[in-house]
Amino acid sequence: MDFAWLLQSLLNGLSIGSVYAVFALGYTLVFSILGIINFAHGAVFTLGAYLTYALAVGRFGINGLLSDLSLPLTLPFPAALLVGALLSGLAGMAVERLAFKPLRRRGADPLLALVSSLGVALIVVNLIQYLVGAEIYSFPSDIFGDLPMAVIFSVGGKPVAVRTIQIILFAASMVMLAGLGWFIGRTRGGKALRATAENADTASLLGISVNRFILGTFFISGLLGGLSGTLIGVSFGIAGPYFGVSYGLKGLAVIVLGGLGSIPGAVLGGLVIGLGEAFLPPDMSSYKEAVAFVLLFAILLVRPQGLLGGRLEQKV
Amino acid sequence: MALLEVEGLCVNYGAVSAVRDVSLSVAAGEIVTLIGANGAGKTSILRAVSKLVTPRAGVLRFDGRDVTGLPPEVLVRLGMAHSPEGRQVLARQSVGDNLELGAYVRNDRAAIAKDMERMFELFPRLSERRKQSAGTLSGGEQQMLAIARALMSRPRLLLLDEPSLGLAPILVSEIFEIIAGLGAMGTTILLVEQNARLAMRVAARTYVVESGGIVLEGPSAELAADERVTKAYLG
Repeated sequence: MDFAWLLQSLLNGLSIGSVYAVFALGYTLVFSILGIINFAHGAVFTLGAYLTYALAVGRFGINGLLSDLSLPLTLPFPAALLVGALLSGLAGMAVERLAFKPLRRRGADPLLALVSSLGVALIVVNLIQYLVGAEIYSFPSDIFGDLPMAVIFSVGGKPVAVRTIQIILFAASMVMLAGLGWFIGRTRGGKALRATAENADTASLLGISVNRFILGTFFISGLLGGLSGTLIGVSFGIAGPYFGVSYGLKGLAVIVLGGLGSIPGAVLGGLVIGLGEAFLPPDMSSYKEAVAFVLLFAILLVRPQGLLGGRLEQKV
Repeated sequence: MALLEVEGLCVNYGAVSAVRDVSLSVAAGEIVTLIGANGAGKTSILRAVSKLVTPRAGVLRFDGRDVTGLPPEVLVRLGMAHSPEGRQVLARQSVGDNLELGAYVRNDRAAIAKDMERMFELFPRLSERRKQSAGTLSGGEQQMLAIARALMSRPRLLLLDEPSLGLAPILVSEIFEIIAGLGAMGTTILLVEQNARLAMRVAARTYVVESGGIVLEGPSAELAADERVTKAYLG
């Protein structure tokens, strides 16, 4: 264990952790306004990665219904990322319309929406598999144009490498977090959103259209999900239609660890799990996927409400 | 013509009937009160008027227009403001933000800022606490905030639900002075209150609600002399 390794792990952890934070915020926003976990969030994450891939590369591989098709034009990566994220936001809105609103309107038990969102997730994932197959797709290595693959510098005679994608991961995540923080904290719409989260009845008496804000929340949530799916996909490859499922579970660990419904909690939880994975000693790296849940277990023993959670019955 | 007209209003919670065939009206500039025992259905009537609950039957007209099918957020835009029972301030937002959200349906920034200052004159206690989160206020201050927030939308009709609930007697009279003052300025108010004596003092007309229906109605001064009212509600 030396200083270069520590620094390398710190940078790796911050980079992946910031994406976990962005992804987990998608859960948090919906939870704070509806009090339910949206289980389709992992599927939107997957969908975002595939959409961006399609827009940037223009075609898919060997299997699936779309294997012979290709798009007439492709977008440069930043544009593909943006359009992919926006389309994911629309997918998030579709999830609200299909899985949540019909049940809410009938006054059904909120827990039922949890099951229907899981149903939507299964449909999306299977549809992806049907359309483009189950292979692993990797974004081409020249996706960032002329940018170098990595920045390498040396610390105490040992190299520390920061991959370009890691910088993009971190920067894109920070932009999203700052934008979201500004919107929720400073704008009229953000205040109305917080009012809706705190008490939907009161919000409607103030003239706030609760259903429109719920729909907007699902859009933002889907956008965050699709964006993080793309970023993870570019970083590690799209490991098949089910790759969002494991990240979906990790995202749940993040929000519970940080404190359900807490926005700063989701950010902190993402960074803690990202850093926890990065600081795993190299000879234990096969246990990486377990880190999130070991941390979750350990922290819940001490703080059942999560790191920044309020009393258990409170949200946001 | 009445500003608010309610005809044949019925409200059910599941199989339980809470409001049966209620008809009432409020003229512009008038304070009208609904009095009655706990659980008589006063709050349910108010919640049905502002559409927090969907009535099972009945017609609502606001300023001559049939608004029976409109949701609460649209009614606010038409000029109906509801200060609900239990105050329901947004505990996690500041006093200032609560007031700002009260003006959510308006876009005239300069006039909103002016009205905000007017509220702080009307409720000086809120002025000292404008940066504090509303959850830290006392019950009386929260009630003042709830009324001020409703007024921020510049309503043509103010629905006030149990403004005296849970307040110390000195605060109750303070709140009722404010209500009387609002009435003197020409604000139209439909007031639900279990403190019948105070409510009838500020209201020109009174409806007496018993088990979901209206059993008596008339000018407050007349009803205050009616034996059925004095026995049951003013005793």
